[in-house]
Amino acid sequence: MYDKSKIIPALVIFLGLATYPIWHNTVSGKARYVPKPELPTDKAKKECVEPKTFIRVNHKTLLEDWKFSVVRNGIRTYQASNKKAYTISLNRTCMNCHTDKTKFCDQCHTYMGVTNKCWDCHIYPKQLSPGPLAMRGP
Amino acid sequence: MLDQRQKIIGEDTVLFEHIWKTGKGFYITVSILGALVLLGLYAYITQYRTGLGVTGLSRQIFWGVYITNFVFFIGISHAGTFISAVLRILKAEWRRPISRASELTTVFILMFGVGSVLIDLGRPDRMLYAIRYAHFRSPLLWDVCSIATYLTVSSISLYLALIPDIAMLRDLGGKREWFYRILSLGWRNTESQHRRLERAIGFVSVLVIPVMITVHTVVSFVFAMTIQPLWHSAIFGPYFVVGAIFSGVASVIVVMAVLRKAYHLESYIKPIHFNNIGIFLMAMTLLWFYFTFAEYITIVYGNDPVHMAIFWSKISGKFSPLFWLHFTLCFVIPLPILAIKKYRTIRGTVIASISIVLGMWLERFVIIVPTLTRQRMPIQGAYYIPTWVEWSILAGCISLFMLLYTLFTKVFPIVPIWEVREGREKAAATVAARITSYMPETGTDLNLPSPGGRG
Amino acid sequence: MQFDRRGFLKITGLTLLGLSAKPGWEVFSKIDQPEPSPMAESLAKIRWAMAVDLKKCWSAKEGCRDCIDACHRIHNVPNLGTLKEEIKWTWTEPYEKVFPEHELEYSEENHRDKPVLLLCNQCDDPPCVKYCPTRATWRREDGIVMMDFHRCIGCRYCMAGCPYGSRSFNWRDPRPFIKKINPEYPTRTRGVVEKCNFCVERLAQGLIPACVEACKEKALIFGDLKKPDSEVRKALQNRVIYQRHPELGTKPKVYYIL
Repeated sequence: MYDKSKIIPALVIFLGLATYPIWHNTVSGKARYVPKPELPTDKAKKECVEPKTFIRVNHKTLLEDWKFSVVRNGIRTYQASNKKAYTISLNRTCMNCHTDKTKFCDQCHTYMGVTNKCWDCHIYPKQLSPGPLAMRGP
Repeated sequence: MLDQRQKIIGEDTVLFEHIWKTGKGFYITVSILGALVLLGLYAYITQYRTGLGVTGLSRQIFWGVYITNFVFFIGISHAGTFISAVLRILKAEWRRPISRASELTTVFILMFGVGSVLIDLGRPDRMLYAIRYAHFRSPLLWDVCSIATYLTVSSISLYLALIPDIAMLRDLGGKREWFYRILSLGWRNTESQHRRLERAIGFVSVLVIPVMITVHTVVSFVFAMTIQPLWHSAIFGPYFVVGAIFSGVASVIVVMAVLRKAYHLESYIKPIHFNNIGIFLMAMTLLWFYFTFAEYITIVYGNDPVHMAIFWSKISGKFSPLFWLHFTLCFVIPLPILAIKKYRTIRGTVIASISIVLGMWLERFVIIVPTLTRQRMPIQGAYYIPTWVEWSILAGCISLFMLLYTLFTKVFPIVPIWEVREGREKAAATVAARITSYMPETGTDLNLPSPGGRG
Repeated sequence: MQFDRRGFLKITGLTLLGLSAKPGWEVFSKIDQPEPSPMAESLAKIRWAMAVDLKKCWSAKEGCRDCIDACHRIHNVPNLGTLKEEIKWTWTEPYEKVFPEHELEYSEENHRDKPVLLLCNQCDDPPCVKYCPTRATWRREDGIVMMDFHRCIGCRYCMAGCPYGSRSFNWRDPRPFIKKINPEYPTRTRGVVEKCNFCVERLAQGLIPACVEACKEKALIFGDLKKPDSEVRKALQNRVIYQRHPELGTKPKVYYIL
């Protein structure tokens, strides 16, 4: 190999710089950070529309399906696998229990660097406080 | 080695020079154009971040400069194909030095036509939805299809005619040889390769003409398919095609004049080229007038109040300055210049062409905007003054076009060298043979009875 | 059978062309296939419509905006304060502008300047739907012309297609311009088109549209045209009724009674 004495140190420096974030976070302990989405404490709000394992993997497609179902098909109730029927509504069903998206959705999304645009239009209840909750719809 | 170089370059040094020599003018041009492109980019970023509210568009007049640009740029793109493909099919020998310059105009400006629509979108982040959820009843999807086809076919046509020239540059060697070697696709200048290339070019030339007509017809359908006054017109397809060729041919004349001056191509692009295209442009001026007249006389005679309201806003209302300016630029100024032989010089045709290009941009504007001011109901607050964002983006688009064009000439010859040489070597004989074939047969073996028995 | 490369390409090309014939035909033939929806059958039994009783409307005190305010409040319609970027689902225009074909010069009653409520006409043959390149707007089987804000790319071709000017575009982020946000209905982002949806979200809950509910004069009558005894059918019976530009063949389902 030509220019061995230049290439190898340069490669080492490059690799060191490129992997710097990993070293840095390992040393500072950030790499061990685990996101902790806050679950509702209320007993009545313990059960989600689907089992935790399903939601964890499929919440994105479930929400997509819900969106399609309401807007395009006009179907507003969801038959869950536990034989219960739920109103399809991000606002009234999901956010009824997980009232604050910053303590729930954002926990993992921020950690994973995921951005979603739900809240450009939809409104989660906590968003409107402080101040009197805006008028209740029908 | 030197001998071989000499053999390749031959007497056409000028045609290679603009690739090798980079003067002060080049850097100045590139930096001015680059600055304008950056300005356009800045304007677009501003619009992307705050929304289309930064434009002068409103609830009433929701299409303006961007849609005008879309129609205008796609119109310009028609000339390249027209000049090179139609003249090729007609076997007009004088097209040889200018065919690439015009094809290049087509390919580059077409991208900005597409770009203008994308700039106009409210949610550019969702632009691919038009493909993902494609709804083919929408004329916009017809546009997507025909413009994509046109861009493909005209790029192929441009590239095919480039191959022998790329091979020449490859054989000349130098730093960029690897680049030219890849692009030349193993061109060895053999007889069979030539035959195949001619066939391919001939095929593409025929194919591109119907595609070209489709493209601008479909662009006009975006407007004609609606039921809005003065848009809903059966004449719009051919009217837009004529306008497109009209503005496109004019812009090719401007491009030719600039190239001639900048790259010293005086002995290749001659006054005769300007004269010939100038005569064609005059015919287009008249044809454009005929279509405009036919369009408006139908409206006036029909006297439908919905249509007449828009009509009067153009003739004597608030759009009248723009309307009469565009009429002057498209007809009153160019016609005498192009019709009188004394004025049909290089300078004359260039002046007429610049006038036509400006006039045709205004024509698109005057077609699109007035209709929106009152769609069957006089609307309050229907005014439209484009803002700096729209003007900057327009300037940016035109500058980027010129920049791409300039950079292209730094890599490839702008005059198709092999075609010019082919013309020099073979054309005279071919033309002579063709002319003989038109002529009535003569010869001693034809014993025609001599008239009057006087012989 | 032996194929060389050319032969293969030719056959492939012809096959593709042949396969595209049927979809191509469907695009240009007049049949507009409705989006497959499991609710189609039950929705198709309904045809929502509205009647505006102009005499009753004009008997209200001048400048009454109850219906418009209710609509805009419930649907988070912003008030941008300028004509340029105005967003409106329902609004009024003077009679003579709405019905330019009516002869008013010599008619005795002078209602030339009286306000007429305008909203999306929820056409049976809506032009806007044809133009949308992404099917972000489409017609539901019960006649409501829907708008999917998730899918709109903001090309504004539907606005060019609508002869009634019923559609508005979000020129900027509308949220700061909403006085009081109703959390039950989403706001919009910048860059999408919006319009009246006949309160489809209220109909789903068995309620009548907000404007109809808000009108104290009972000038707005809403109901199902397919039910012979519905309120709207009764209101239309034996009356002179107008639609906006019926000559365009859009078959509007907002009626005006004079």
